[in-house]
Amino acid sequence: MEPSETERGQSREWRRDRRVNVGPAERKASVVGGAALAVSGLRCISKRDYASGLAMMIAGGMLLYRGQTGHCGIYDAMGVDTVHTHNSALTITKAVTIGLPPQEVYEFWRNLENLPRFMRHLESVQVTGARTSHWKAVGPGGISAEWDAEMMEDTPGQQISWHSVGEADVPNKGSVEFKEAPGHRGTEVKVTIDYYPPGGGAGKVAAKLAQGINAQQLEEDLKRLKQILEVGEETTARRTVE
Amino acid sequence: MRAVCWHGKHDVRVDEVADPQIVSMGDVIVKVALTCICGSDLHLYNGYVPTMKKGDIMGHEFVGEIIEVGSGVKRFHVGDRVIVPFPISCGVCWYCKHELWSLCDNSNPNSWMLEHLYGDTGGGIFGYSHMYGGFSGGQAEYVRVPFADVGLEKIPDGIPYEQVVLLTDIFPTGYQAADNCNINPGDTVAVWGCGPVGLMAMMSARHLGAERVIGIDRFPDRLQMAHSQCRAEVLNYEEVDVAEALQNMTGGRGPDSCIDAVGLEAVGTGIEGIYDSVKQTLRLENDRASALRQLTKACRKGGTLSIVGVYSGFIDKFPMGAIFAKGLTLHAGQAHVHKYLPHLVKLVAEQQLNPSSIITHRLPLEQAPGAYKTFLNKQDSCIKIVLNPQESARTARPGIEEAGAV
Repeated sequence: MEPSETERGQSREWRRDRRVNVGPAERKASVVGGAALAVSGLRCISKRDYASGLAMMIAGGMLLYRGQTGHCGIYDAMGVDTVHTHNSALTITKAVTIGLPPQEVYEFWRNLENLPRFMRHLESVQVTGARTSHWKAVGPGGISAEWDAEMMEDTPGQQISWHSVGEADVPNKGSVEFKEAPGHRGTEVKVTIDYYPPGGGAGKVAAKLAQGINAQQLEEDLKRLKQILEVGEETTARRTVE
Repeated sequence: MRAVCWHGKHDVRVDEVADPQIVSMGDVIVKVALTCICGSDLHLYNGYVPTMKKGDIMGHEFVGEIIEVGSGVKRFHVGDRVIVPFPISCGVCWYCKHELWSLCDNSNPNSWMLEHLYGDTGGGIFGYSHMYGGFSGGQAEYVRVPFADVGLEKIPDGIPYEQVVLLTDIFPTGYQAADNCNINPGDTVAVWGCGPVGLMAMMSARHLGAERVIGIDRFPDRLQMAHSQCRAEVLNYEEVDVAEALQNMTGGRGPDSCIDAVGLEAVGTGIEGIYDSVKQTLRLENDRASALRQLTKACRKGGTLSIVGVYSGFIDKFPMGAIFAKGLTLHAGQAHVHKYLPHLVKLVAEQQLNPSSIITHRLPLEQAPGAYKTFLNKQDSCIKIVLNPQESARTARPGIEEAGAV
């Protein structure tokens, strides 16, 4: 995705202090942990366990450096920054063309309780009011999350958008556009989901690692939506019912 | 039921597996009468196609009788004898509606695998790896066939299974290869590879009006079959310089169309052949392209390259300059079997063409492991093997296992 103007501005601003990408609490922990590791490493070496001792001293040294300077090479390589965490959503956008008129695709989506039929990570969506709903999701390793959502835009045959409200496990917002595809090809469905990972730094690392999987998950979700709407059910290669 | 299962490179076994069931409402269960080993099965057998898993049922060429129908099936009934096309097609997506059946958008549940590799995906294929959907194949007693109303073709009464079993894949594949050449009166069509698909392409090119058909291979029995069954002139590429011979045979013009029925395991000659083998073995190049290079060089200006041999990855030293300078047109891809089936069934029923004349081996399914070896090593003048899952191993004629043991 092209970085927006504000993102470009931000990165220019970051360049001035780009070496600092570890937050203050983590820096303190790094200094203490690093010093402890280095001392343990020295003890190992004095007991002639050179390999472990050396490894511990190197790791301890790296942590000390990280705490002293506030810069972490690993975070750098992963694109993680725990100083500038505010306001940094993870955004996924995927599109698919479905051979039905926009109004029909919109109507299927507008019935939010249909979403778990093609979105693998959703266990259920319960409509709780005219514009409100309750969502339950299951992540890798059985991690579950719940939140209430409120619909923001609802333009029949064109667009639906929503955002989580209150104390959401994973604060998020999403929008889906329905646009008539050229040459009677049906509807171009474009979905954008932003989510704000929980737990500050740690959550950010986990979410960053999961981002690739989730973009693919959304892509597969949209393929399933296409199968359900065009064919009538999800395609399966299973040979037996169980 | 008994089924031919993939267990690794050069390791297929006949295993006892669970019978298939109706899973979706558009399914039928076919009791397989005859099933073939395809040249492209050898790519799986040789380990060139990724995403195969131990226990996967092989085979995408099969005909048989419907023994069970799903609640949504309208055109077929229990007892119907049917031809099953090797590509699986939903019948409702944009590609199916535009007769691009093998490019179906909805029939491959693992479409993301190929999307990452190729940018987009084709449809599902029976018994052809998980990136083509992970569907159980036809080298088995029974098969679950999805989208039955879309894909299947009834076999006319009185036509034996053997006469139509090649309509599941190689006859339509060869026919499409020739059809893509847009053959005009007076045209010469050269076909690289005189294996089953090459022979079908030559037979089809003749049928579609080619003045001359030239078959290129290195196995004398295959060249002989091209000559006798397809009225082709033949060239042995180990004996002559193919490009020069073709030039001399066509008054210096080159063939109007060139068909590649070889694909990614082409056997090159000389330095070039060694170069490709080494690179492929070291996985620096996954497809060997020596046939494709010859096609490009030999083809006349403004001519057509029609590629039906399977390619799966990257090739090296591809003569893009020749394609550009000579203004060549390139056609490629899996056959849109559904598009051709009704016409081809008619051609066979009216005895205008007899594709099954290239079948050389008829064996019970139980002998599949030996049959794969025989086919791979082109022993015993083997060109096309048909397996019968209903015939017990005991009544089979002996000989193949000895031949296959080499």
